[in-house]
Amino acid sequence: MSLNVAVIVKLEPDFSEGNISYNADGTLNRAETKSKLGAHSSVACLAAFYAKVNYGANISVATMGPPMSEIALSEAQSICDADSLHLYTDRIFASADTLATAEVLKKGIQKMKENENENNNGIDIIFSGHRASDGETGQTGPQTAWKLGYPFFGNVIDYHLNLKDRVVTLKRLVVLNGMDNIIEEIESPLPVFIALDPSYKPSFTTLSSRLKATIFEKNAEKKVANFKSYLKMFDHNSLELDPKEVGLSGSPTIVYKVERIPKGKMNRKAEIIDGRDRNQIKNIAEKILILNGQYGRS
Amino acid sequence: MEDFDVIIIGGGSAGLAALKHISALGKQAILIESGKEIGSKNVSGGILYSKNKEYGQVHNVEDIYGQKFLEEEPYERRITKYILNATSKDKVCSIDLTSIHDFQSNFGCSVLLNKLNTWFAKEAQEEAQKQGGGIVTGVHVKNIKWNNENTPIELDGGKQNSSTYDNSLIVETDELEEFRSRAIIAADGVNSEIASLLRAREKFSPDQLYQGVKVVIKLPEEIIEKRFEIGPDEGAAHLFSGDISLNQVGGGFLYTNRDSISIGGVYHLSSLLENPVEPDQLVNSLINNPLVKDLIQDEVPIKNIEKNLSKEEQTKKSFTISKLIRTWNELREIYYSPKNREKTIANGKFKSIEEIKDKINTTRRRLVEEFNTKFVTNYVELEYSAKVVPDGKRCMMNKPYYKNVLFVGDAAGRGIFLGPRIEGLNVGMDDAVRAAKTIIKYIKNNLTDPNIGEIYSQSIHESPYTRDMKKIDKDYLKVLLKAVKKIPLEDLGAKNNFLIRCMSNDFLRNFAVSTINKVGFYKFLSFVESPKIYIDIPILLAEKLGRKINTSTKFDIPELSERISKLKYYEDNNSHIIVTKPQIEFMKKMTVLCPTKCYSIEDQNVVIQHEGCIECGTCSKETSWKHPRGEKGIFFKYG
Repeated sequence: MSLNVAVIVKLEPDFSEGNISYNADGTLNRAETKSKLGAHSSVACLAAFYAKVNYGANISVATMGPPMSEIALSEAQSICDADSLHLYTDRIFASADTLATAEVLKKGIQKMKENENENNNGIDIIFSGHRASDGETGQTGPQTAWKLGYPFFGNVIDYHLNLKDRVVTLKRLVVLNGMDNIIEEIESPLPVFIALDPSYKPSFTTLSSRLKATIFEKNAEKKVANFKSYLKMFDHNSLELDPKEVGLSGSPTIVYKVERIPKGKMNRKAEIIDGRDRNQIKNIAEKILILNGQYGRS
Repeated sequence: MEDFDVIIIGGGSAGLAALKHISALGKQAILIESGKEIGSKNVSGGILYSKNKEYGQVHNVEDIYGQKFLEEEPYERRITKYILNATSKDKVCSIDLTSIHDFQSNFGCSVLLNKLNTWFAKEAQEEAQKQGGGIVTGVHVKNIKWNNENTPIELDGGKQNSSTYDNSLIVETDELEEFRSRAIIAADGVNSEIASLLRAREKFSPDQLYQGVKVVIKLPEEIIEKRFEIGPDEGAAHLFSGDISLNQVGGGFLYTNRDSISIGGVYHLSSLLENPVEPDQLVNSLINNPLVKDLIQDEVPIKNIEKNLSKEEQTKKSFTISKLIRTWNELREIYYSPKNREKTIANGKFKSIEEIKDKINTTRRRLVEEFNTKFVTNYVELEYSAKVVPDGKRCMMNKPYYKNVLFVGDAAGRGIFLGPRIEGLNVGMDDAVRAAKTIIKYIKNNLTDPNIGEIYSQSIHESPYTRDMKKIDKDYLKVLLKAVKKIPLEDLGAKNNFLIRCMSNDFLRNFAVSTINKVGFYKFLSFVESPKIYIDIPILLAEKLGRKINTSTKFDIPELSERISKLKYYEDNNSHIIVTKPQIEFMKKMTVLCPTKCYSIEDQNVVIQHEGCIECGTCSKETSWKHPRGEKGIFFKYG
């Protein structure tokens, strides 16, 4: 019984030190900042990898963005040993909001149905990350699911499949009566759209599945060395998209104005202590002792 | 429950050799390593030997990994110079012991264990996967039990009674579901949890252990070659004894790597407990030796940012300077390495060597002129590490097995410590092959032979390394005496002089050696490994015969806290060590002897803060000591 999995990912700025660059006004300098596969996207890839190791899934990774987004696809392939990489790139896709992005992804994922192997009844599971880290755009996933007519499950922390009955059992975090982190267990027939909670970690709990995972990891390494041969590019023509429904013209969102968040006023004074200076340590220890005395602790 | 034939616990050099060999012989084996990656928990003082022994055959690294080991060179440098330095203040007396190093050896090379074991793992994994086995990292074995504890291995009139015999083991880990195995090779190092769990042996006592502490120092490739007067295919090893040991029994070492230097000390733990000295101070005393200073010093840039600038300006400047310093460092790494130079010029980044040199100079000038950076004579540390080393002659397991669990290498207490001769890696790898061969026989016998342990034990006792741990080799002693003969010994006092003269006589020496071996040479250890031999005589040598070394270099040696802050950890909330006897003297001494100062005293009780622990095992004897859970704890980048 075959299983077809799609992962949608995003190329994001690398916010780590030494890679990020700022403009004079403090905004992000996108041209100078390096880019990489988003952290949430890599969690989605891990979930797909789990399906590969445990259920022999056929994995396609997709992203929409400029041609350089292929970096994200190759990084995704190195995590999940993907079998095909799809890049939706077209000048008219630029400046898309989440809805217009979802339109492209929908068509792309529908295309996967047609393009993949014969005994294929479409994509069974679509994985996405929780949200992007360079914008509050956690709605791309749900919108794509809605457009495709897939049931959507967010904040998923674990899942298992019953391939025979084509049913997924998944656990997700919910808030109930103001209580955080309640785990809800859901059973759903395939296909489904799953957005992973950032805390998701694939649970390979048997030695043989761990061994199998190492073999797939090695495969992935080999594939990535030659990732372009797995890469397929699509523009609005090949996706049969109406130019009016994508990019800026397909985006109902209107950004009226962007306000910079004003810097908060500092109301405490910090003192920097050099740990190598014994006197400074002595001083701070004395201060702590005095404070403790004030609050009546011994 | 999943079922496997052979499980190897521990992914060090020995465990990996076992995996490689079993797989090469066509059987499935799975290696389990608790570290996040292979090599991340391994530390070595130094040298991996390939031996050509007189009394029997050993399995060398190139026998296990083939010609590929010699071609791909995952080691650092082949050691071609082996020198013992006796020190006293600014005086050093150097004795060439290259003949000792060459004794019965094909080659000996300096290694950094992360790199070496990663290479071994790549080879072993490939072979193992062909047989359906492999390596699984990040899994910590916490318990082993026999499927049916009530069915002990019983011999029925010397023959096994296979109908009642159930040898299968159940392995419990922190991370995975239980699984079954029919045999285990325990290669989990000197602090073997498996050995403690099964009570296969006592935990090693301080008398049986040495504590090794090391720092890896950065130095460009060709600068090393010039300093140590060696060629590109050569390496130097220096040993130290005398006042650098701060009155401890043991000594210092310095090995040249490809583009770094390993420097540190190995000291008898009993000696340290008697008169505790902070381990990092022992390293520092070596670094402060004038000979060492001359060997490891380098040009080091020091950031200097004006304090009167605004915070934002300071950060900006700091970023720019860091970037320039990084460029300067990278360029030097290219310039001083023939391989890197060739590669960089071939890919068109630079046209010629001169151009690289120019770029280094302009970067340096920019740093000095535009950014007020100072270049001083200092040295650069890359990594601080420590481990305890078993002294095989005192602690090797006489029967290195428990039922169908075979112990190899450090886990079985097998290391060679004979004066200037220290070997561990090659011994562990030889053990591993012997264990692998035993296992193969076992599998052919349908995994039921209850004699598996005894067969392995016999093989171990046939190993020339075992002989080295039990007996003094008269030929080795002859070579050693010949090497020191060149020194004019008149000044060392009549008593010492007489002794050495007697030992130089073939007849007297052979007689003495055979007598000592007959009586058991461990009985003479308190004489041989005494403060007199390790400290007094070297100091006397240095003072009487040493050359004076003048150096004005002053090093800015990092504090322990700086060394620890440079290390990489994957923190575990739970402590893997539990203090069980908070008031005993041993634990109080740990507040000094722990290389990363994890112990302190609160209300007369010794308490631990495990976060900085580098898992050396110094405190293992009197604590409840386990390895951290899978992926957790220290991650050595060099090792």
